[in-house]
Amino acid sequence: MKTIAKTQIDSILKALAVPYNLYIPVAGAFTQTPGREGLENASQFRLYQEGLPLHWTTNTCLSPKDLLFPQTEEMYTIVSHGKTVEIQEKAIGHKPTILFGIRSCDIESIDCMDRVFLEKGFEDTYYKTRRPRTILFALSCTTHEDTCFCTSMGVNPQSSPSADVQISDLGDTFSFTAQTLGGEQALAYVDALLSEIIGTGPSGALKTQTPDTLKTPEELKEIALSNAADSTLSSAADSTLSSSSADSPLSSAADSTLNAAADNAGNKTSAASPLPTDPMIITVNSDGVSEKLENMFEHPLWDEINLPCLGCGACTYVCPTCYCFDINDKTLSHTTINKQRCWDSCMFSDYTRMAGGHNPRPSKKERVRNRFLDKLLYNRQRHGRLFCVGCGRCVAKCPVNLEIATVIQKIQAAEVTPS
Amino acid sequence: MSMIYDMNLNPQKISKIPKMNPHESHTGASPANPLIPKRGIITKITTETPDVKTFSITGADGTKPFTPQPGQLGMLSLPPYGEAMFSVTAQNDTHIDMAIKAVGSLTNALHAVEEGQECGIRGPYGNGFPLDFCHGKDLIFIAGGIGHAPVRSLIRHCVEHRTDYGKLTVVYGARSYADLVFKDDLFDNWPKVDNMDIHVTIDRPEDGWQGHVGFVPSYPEELALPPSVSIVCGPPIMIKFALQALTKMGFKPNEVITTMEMRMKCGIGKCGRCNIGSCFVCLDGPVFTQEQLNAMPPEY
Ligand SMILES: Cc1cc2nc3c(=O)[nH]c(=O)nc-3n(C[C@H](O)[C@H](O)[C@H](O)COP(=O)(O)OP(=O)(O)OC[C@H]3O[C@@H](n4cnc5c(N)ncnc54)[C@H](O)[C@@H]3O)c2cc1C
Ligand code: SF4
Ligand code: SF4
Ligand code: FES
Repeated sequence: MKTIAKTQIDSILKALAVPYNLYIPVAGAFTQTPGREGLENASQFRLYQEGLPLHWTTNTCLSPKDLLFPQTEEMYTIVSHGKTVEIQEKAIGHKPTILFGIRSCDIESIDCMDRVFLEKGFEDTYYKTRRPRTILFALSCTTHEDTCFCTSMGVNPQSSPSADVQISDLGDTFSFTAQTLGGEQALAYVDALLSEIIGTGPSGALKTQTPDTLKTPEELKEIALSNAADSTLSSAADSTLSSSSADSPLSSAADSTLNAAADNAGNKTSAASPLPTDPMIITVNSDGVSEKLENMFEHPLWDEINLPCLGCGACTYVCPTCYCFDINDKTLSHTTINKQRCWDSCMFSDYTRMAGGHNPRPSKKERVRNRFLDKLLYNRQRHGRLFCVGCGRCVAKCPVNLEIATVIQKIQAAEVTPS
Repeated sequence: MSMIYDMNLNPQKISKIPKMNPHESHTGASPANPLIPKRGIITKITTETPDVKTFSITGADGTKPFTPQPGQLGMLSLPPYGEAMFSVTAQNDTHIDMAIKAVGSLTNALHAVEEGQECGIRGPYGNGFPLDFCHGKDLIFIAGGIGHAPVRSLIRHCVEHRTDYGKLTVVYGARSYADLVFKDDLFDNWPKVDNMDIHVTIDRPEDGWQGHVGFVPSYPEELALPPSVSIVCGPPIMIKFALQALTKMGFKPNEVITTMEMRMKCGIGKCGRCNIGSCFVCLDGPVFTQEQLNAMPPEY
């Protein structure tokens, strides 16, 4: 097993940043702008620069989806003079890239994106250009935030078999395991910096990290399920509520990040970091939720749960599997426009509005219903999997706590007359 | 639900990430990008009604910009007014036609341009009509207003390949005589076609109009048309009532074919804009059977 001391991790980053565009998770910052001091600048993936510290304790507030699917992508320029029109396509430049330290949930969300952008008829040229040239370094989780519920969605926070490299957090060290050829090639650049450990030294600790002692996703799911069965619906919903409503929406993530960091600092002396033993606070049973939803389009549940929604779109913005985009114009001059595509949100009222005002989803009820059916039913039908990976970002960020974990519980508890 | 479910379920783990050296940079444009329009020229503009014009669009090289199947779509853009989806109504070697109703910013701007105006055009998109299914059968076309546009390419195809299809019946209506599109075909050309009946109606009586007066959805019943394969296109409200009437008359849900409109952006099944349940109208549609619609959430 190849490892490096955590204190030395910057040497690895520095070496990888030479042949690659290296993106690493960076902690949220607090702005010093007069009048706005203290506002959170969300933790997110940034291009590595020397000295930029790796934020490895908890997942980032913003998902890394923008590195494969940028928030704004300029597609082409149109120049029109009189009756003539000229179309100039923009080049898609993409240097080999490493996304370093992605969590299991976000690796799974990339699988969702792969299915959308590379499957079903057309391929998306932009995604298809970036995706094969992007190497994913997954980082195992040793702790979780109050809002995480990945194990309920079948995700293993300790291992990502589809990543190119798996990094495991072993307490004082990180271990690196290549899982693909691309991963092997990337690790070759830092081989000299890593030390090989074979059953010596603190081997007792290391043994706990061998693949056969890692829990499989099925086992983890079972643990989550038995936890879900233990907690009644109301108490689970309560804990969800309290976990996100205790703080104002803007500060809650920052606070929990700090708390988690403190937790982790406390654990640091323990030899290796085994699985998170404390169960996640939010546990839900996602089994059969798609099948159940097939008969719930007209269910009164939707009349009730949409009420608090503000239509702000925060949930779709932070969600790593939300892929909707708009195509619009950026006017440069009266003859020149840039066509660009931008993230969009099905929670916005004009999203489906057509000429003459006809709108198939005229009110919040239809839009909220569409979002949850999309995550839990439509994408399962279309792409063969649920499009929620339990990252908890919408749980943390929705200003009115209309979040998916509670909705799943309500769906499971709803009475349905089969059609 | 279950039919749609099976239709789309793809349990296989994706293996589509292209195999290439991840250590190689990519620079430059990708010629096959389906979101980038080609330059086109509006070579001919025909006024059909006070608010519908047909635009003939030729590619920059003098040939048609693409070759659609009957019922397929094209995305037409006119800077700086944006782009929108329209059915291709007809095509030949040098151009494709689109019949466009002025309803908003882009469509009104298009109505103001002159012949020779250049534009952006991309396509073809959508599934088109099921030609194999229609082959050899009697076909009834039921359309209202601008709904003649999507169905026109199929009627023209059937007339051009007359012996491949059975009896052709067209039931078409609009608010007034002036609003009927493609009058040449309705009154001069198609009535001469072998084994083809044309029934035209307008909503309200009008001086000089000798034909039928009444709404389209109830007309097939008045005509006592025997159940066969039917193709229904028009505004959502017309489609709704026409489908109800056809069901009552004993038309089978898998033989009633219709086209859906949802707002669209990409046209290639990626942007998520045009979904009805798990179907994307731009890719899986716009042509659906009534049987498929019955299995979808009623959200259109
Ligand atoms: C599958 C399909 C086929 C169509 N075929 C035809 C046709 O053959 N002839 C024809 O005249 N019209 C057709 N339409 C409708 C046409 O796309 C709209 O009339 C057009 O988009 C209106 O644009 P606008 O900018 O003038 O209107 P505005 O109201 O100014 O448009 C604002 C925005 O809404 C969108 N939008 C408005 N109405 C519609 C609509 N009905 N469908 C989709 N997007 C809309 C526009 O793209 C634009 O982004 C079709 C639509 C679809 C989806
Ligand atoms: S729906 Fe919420 S919890 Fe699920 S993947 Fe999206 S942001 Fe994460
Ligand atoms: S569910 Fe919450 S985050 Fe999403 S749009 Fe509504 S209020 Fe905003
Ligand atoms: S228009 Fe983008 S998915 Fe249909």
